Amino acid sequence: MTTTVSTDPEPGPAAVVRRGRRLRDHTTALGAIGGVIVLVLVTVAVLAPVLAPYDPAERAGTPFSSPSPDHLLGTNDVGQDLLSEMIYGTRVSLTVGIVAAAAAMLIGTVVGLIGGYFPRLGAVAMRGVDVVLILPFLPLLIVLAAYLGRSIVNTVIIIAILIWAPTARVIRAQVLSLANRDYIVAARSMGAGHGYVLWRHVLPKTMLLAIGEFVAATSGAILLESSLSFLGLGDPLQESWGSTLYWAQARGAFLTPAWKWWVLPPGLLIMFSALGFALLGYALEQRINPRLRRS
Amino acid sequence: MNARRLGLARLGQYAIVLVVAVSLNFALPRLMPGSPLALIAGVEVGEMSPEERAAVTADAGLDQPLVVQYLTYWKSILTLDFGYSFRQGTPIEELVLERVPWTLLLTLTALVVSAVVGIALGAFAAWRRGGAWDVSSLTVMIALESTPQFWLGMLFIALFSVSLGWLPSFGATTAGADLTGLAWLADVAEHAVLPVLTLSILSIPAVYLSMRYSTLSVLGEDYIRTAQAKGLRPRAVMLHHVVRTALLPVTTVLALRLGWAFGGTVVIETVFSYPGLGRLMYDAVSARDYPVMQATFLVFTVAVLLANLLADSLYPRLDPRTRV
Repeated sequence: MTTTVSTDPEPGPAAVVRRGRRLRDHTTALGAIGGVIVLVLVTVAVLAPVLAPYDPAERAGTPFSSPSPDHLLGTNDVGQDLLSEMIYGTRVSLTVGIVAAAAAMLIGTVVGLIGGYFPRLGAVAMRGVDVVLILPFLPLLIVLAAYLGRSIVNTVIIIAILIWAPTARVIRAQVLSLANRDYIVAARSMGAGHGYVLWRHVLPKTMLLAIGEFVAATSGAILLESSLSFLGLGDPLQESWGSTLYWAQARGAFLTPAWKWWVLPPGLLIMFSALGFALLGYALEQRINPRLRRS
Repeated sequence: MNARRLGLARLGQYAIVLVVAVSLNFALPRLMPGSPLALIAGVEVGEMSPEERAAVTADAGLDQPLVVQYLTYWKSILTLDFGYSFRQGTPIEELVLERVPWTLLLTLTALVVSAVVGIALGAFAAWRRGGAWDVSSLTVMIALESTPQFWLGMLFIALFSVSLGWLPSFGATTAGADLTGLAWLADVAEHAVLPVLTLSILSIPAVYLSMRYSTLSVLGEDYIRTAQAKGLRPRAVMLHHVVRTALLPVTTVLALRLGWAFGGTVVIETVFSYPGLGRLMYDAVSARDYPVMQATFLVFTVAVLLANLLADSLYPRLDPRTRV
């Protein structure tokens, strides 16, 4: 191993390595920031009953009151404590984001695996992916939500069937490059079935990639959930940050000084959680995706 | 694959997208539990006698075989006959047509603004790669990508309309003002500033990121090194050699962004109560006015397809290297 050290200091490649290392440090820092944000949010979601001063459904104070020691973020139009609503909203927003992204990862991975392993079938499947990608995103989301009805399960399903396509693409590209590797060909020629090869050799090599995609997709799913809830298409019984903004809009909170405690906090929370998952996903992708690492 | 075959494949793909959109519109109300009458004819089924019910069913064509219904549906779409709004009773084409100019005003203006700003910032960031400007602008762009667009609109209203009182917070014109000529134009412009600003700010990151990436890859080309080696000033190399080439792939992003901006107007126009297509869709959803909602969905789909077609036909004209 000492020989590698002595052959190292060629000016060109060494500079590239150094730059690469700096880039990787930068990526790690961003990933760490994202990780901390995600960790804090998950903790708040889990400990919501302990952290929240009131039940978010309880009429705990005078409607439209400004922040006070009793209600740190004031109250909404029916007197519910806004801080408690924010804390419990973390549960809804994160659950929808994570479950929808997980379902999308499942669909995307299956389509990508099959599409990459059986190239002819894959070509057809990828045409389907293109169709999903071209359709106008938000309007399609709205149409589906309007017909299926407002429930948290429907929200998750709708978001999942709209965001799996990019994952399928990434996974398929990876599987295509794996399918012709020597050890896969060797396994096949020794009589291993397609199912065995896919399960034993291809899936493990794509799992990490799928996890990176999952984290990145969570960010998008959280934003989509907020848009849907803001348009009044979220679950009426499970108030998320988007629903709070829907009521703030409906009651004209942004036309009064109340925007500082009624409009600002939920938006910031949506932004930070989307950002946290996006940064974490970006850092994971940079580490995992061989295509990105090379460039 | 030669260019013509590629073009045909693209057209086929767009045709499939259109078929999927129309079929979704056809299938969704019929797949939902309960009588499709409420969703398609807009009547309360419970309050009707069996005879009335049969009459309405026949009137809406729901007693026909599904294939016939499907073909009839296509015929009405292709003849631009979208039916009548449940709520207002007016033909839907009229409702849509009077909204289109407002949405075009917002989306096209926002496209120009985000193109100019995104391209300039992206090129500059790539030029100063790794510098303070590059890192800070990149960070801001990533944060913008995570910002809910409707929330940004609400903050703008709170800031510019309510606190500062500079700009109107809703509508496309001042209601009942009856302005004409230049005064009317000024009024329209005043009302469009905040929605356009919100839409533009949220489109800038995509333009910025693609311009930055494209500029970076052009900077590594041999002919740039040649230009530098023959002693041209960095600014001249940047403006005449780098940016011109780097702009090419960005045009595609811009065309696609136009289609995206159309969909984005649903939330933006809702926040600003702007009388465009997006607001029409939102109001239709709130009022369970399903035919209007379906029509706006189709219009958005066609808009996205047109934007894609524009990008496909524009690109070979701009970049001779892709002509085969």
